[in-house]
Amino acid sequence: MKRERPQSFNTVPMKERMIIPRQDMPEQDAGLRSTNFLEVNLGLTPEQAIVEAQRCIECKSPTCMDGCPVNIKIPDFIQLICKEDFVGAAQKIKEDNSLPAICGRVCPQETQCEEICVMGKRFEPVAIGRLERFVADYAMQHGNGSTETFDKPASSGQKVAIVGSGPAGLAVASDLIKEGHEVTVFEALHEFGGVLVYGIPEFRLPKSILREEVATLEDMGVKFVKNFIVGRTMTIQELMADEGYDAVFLGLGAGLPRFMNIPGENLNGVYSANEFLTRSNLMRGYEFPEWDTPLYRAKHAIIVGGGNTAMDAVRTAKRLGADEASIVYRRSEEEMPARNEEIHHAKEEGIKFMNLVNPIEFISDDQGSVVAAKCLRMELGEPDESGRRRPVPMEGSEFVMDVDMVVIAVGNGSNPLISQTTPEIETNKWGNIVADEDGRTSMEGVFAGGDIVSGGATVILAMGAGRKSAVAINEYLKAKVGS
Amino acid sequence: MSLKDQISSMDMDDIVEMCINQEQQAIDLYTLARDQAKDDASRQKFQELVDMETVHKVSLSNFEIENYIELPPADLKVTDYLMEPELKDNMTTQEIIILAAKREDKTARMYQDLADHFNFDKKLNTFFQMMADEELRHKHDLETEYENEFLQEG
Repeated sequence: MKRERPQSFNTVPMKERMIIPRQDMPEQDAGLRSTNFLEVNLGLTPEQAIVEAQRCIECKSPTCMDGCPVNIKIPDFIQLICKEDFVGAAQKIKEDNSLPAICGRVCPQETQCEEICVMGKRFEPVAIGRLERFVADYAMQHGNGSTETFDKPASSGQKVAIVGSGPAGLAVASDLIKEGHEVTVFEALHEFGGVLVYGIPEFRLPKSILREEVATLEDMGVKFVKNFIVGRTMTIQELMADEGYDAVFLGLGAGLPRFMNIPGENLNGVYSANEFLTRSNLMRGYEFPEWDTPLYRAKHAIIVGGGNTAMDAVRTAKRLGADEASIVYRRSEEEMPARNEEIHHAKEEGIKFMNLVNPIEFISDDQGSVVAAKCLRMELGEPDESGRRRPVPMEGSEFVMDVDMVVIAVGNGSNPLISQTTPEIETNKWGNIVADEDGRTSMEGVFAGGDIVSGGATVILAMGAGRKSAVAINEYLKAKVGS
Repeated sequence: MSLKDQISSMDMDDIVEMCINQEQQAIDLYTLARDQAKDDASRQKFQELVDMETVHKVSLSNFEIENYIELPPADLKVTDYLMEPELKDNMTTQEIIILAAKREDKTARMYQDLADHFNFDKKLNTFFQMMADEELRHKHDLETEYENEFLQEG
């Protein structure tokens, strides 16, 4: 669909825009930050943001929006930055994305909007993510904009329960409250945000940002209930039949840690990434002894995996005081699914990378604590279906290394609680809820989206799924009234 | 009498029948596990294994040695170092795949051993090589699935 180009406020001549260098985001010194949990990236200054926005060449057919799972009006908000209307730019983003300060920090823009930015074909792409983060932070500091421009609609008289307060659930809540429905978010943990709060460390996503976003939704009228486990405290059927909810959205995420099934994974000192990061992030282990969550200070911590979770865990282990913290990954760096920025930051912080290495056993002392890892060296074989070369074990390459902490970060699965307590909801062989592209499940009035449907993915993809479901839920509720 | 001695005294039809029985045993085992599984996810995975073994059983009934083209799949060894789970009613899909891949591996080794043993008999050698390759193909498919789902390394 052809869309109208936004009014231009960019005063820089077109040719000059292309020679403006992409603006680097200031960040904490690597040596200093590897000893604290303060945010690594410090954000663009207003001057830098304007210069970066002026790099946009205002394409006649901009592609950047197509790369965004929630179709943020990127050209529009960039022009508002050129106009120095930063709060207006944040409001423009919030029309499509209720969590810009979060997405500006954790979205993999390099594989989404920035990857297809036309400027990026010959030069570096416009730093859309950094600009999003800048205006979102600016708006928070200078009057958020969301609630001020939010006119509460007339009540529809209909109630929606949202299970899980992660990115999918928050996106649904944001969209449905604007439609006049009574929206309640149920969270199993004692803080809201799902994976954003238990999974992503403070140094990458400060919790204060998340609390601000949740507070904004509360101001808009969304109710939040914590320590409420749907499936245990109350079932979905009870929520609908006894509590009068007209529709339910399931955004439970993929919070069930997976292990490798090798000997020794049950030893003391071997954690799942979920447990390790939850202890540090949600339970504030990084603030011990002010907070009562002990976390072991390792001599040598190894983190098995190569994704963003592995990077978060290894950098957390280092900050907690590990003498040495290493990534152990069975493929080569080229195949690592983690963002380049996270790998780069980890290296700067002194993280050791042991690529093409795979643990096959963890060895204990007589107290049942891990003291060593037996590993195999791998080599890259034939490409698999995705084109990535497969790692295969090298014969006779076994070796043992001393380790006193292991974190397994090979992925997560779906929590089986809902499928066990609600057999009406169809699941697939991986335990994920089966839903159509608008999130409808096999149970009437129940919708689902995010990682519980797709398996582990990104924050913005979960939000995109949530927004699609919100549209479908709204249609469902309207039809229900009409019938 | 060892299996190799038994085979030496059997004709080709009996050998094929023996292998079909072997496939039927696997079908029976996975059917029982499917029926006893406590959740949908594992029921679906066991059903897939029943289907896979059934296809193999049917293809064995119709096989022709002359048409066999040797194309052994790569042994990915993804599950070789993993612990073998016990068959029980509350297995995860991850455990089911490991269990099945290890069974395929053992059977492939058995057939490979027989193929090597009967290298003097072209017909027997080809037949057992075909069986070994097929079991290895099953292992390959299961390990590919395992790698795609359980080794995302996220």
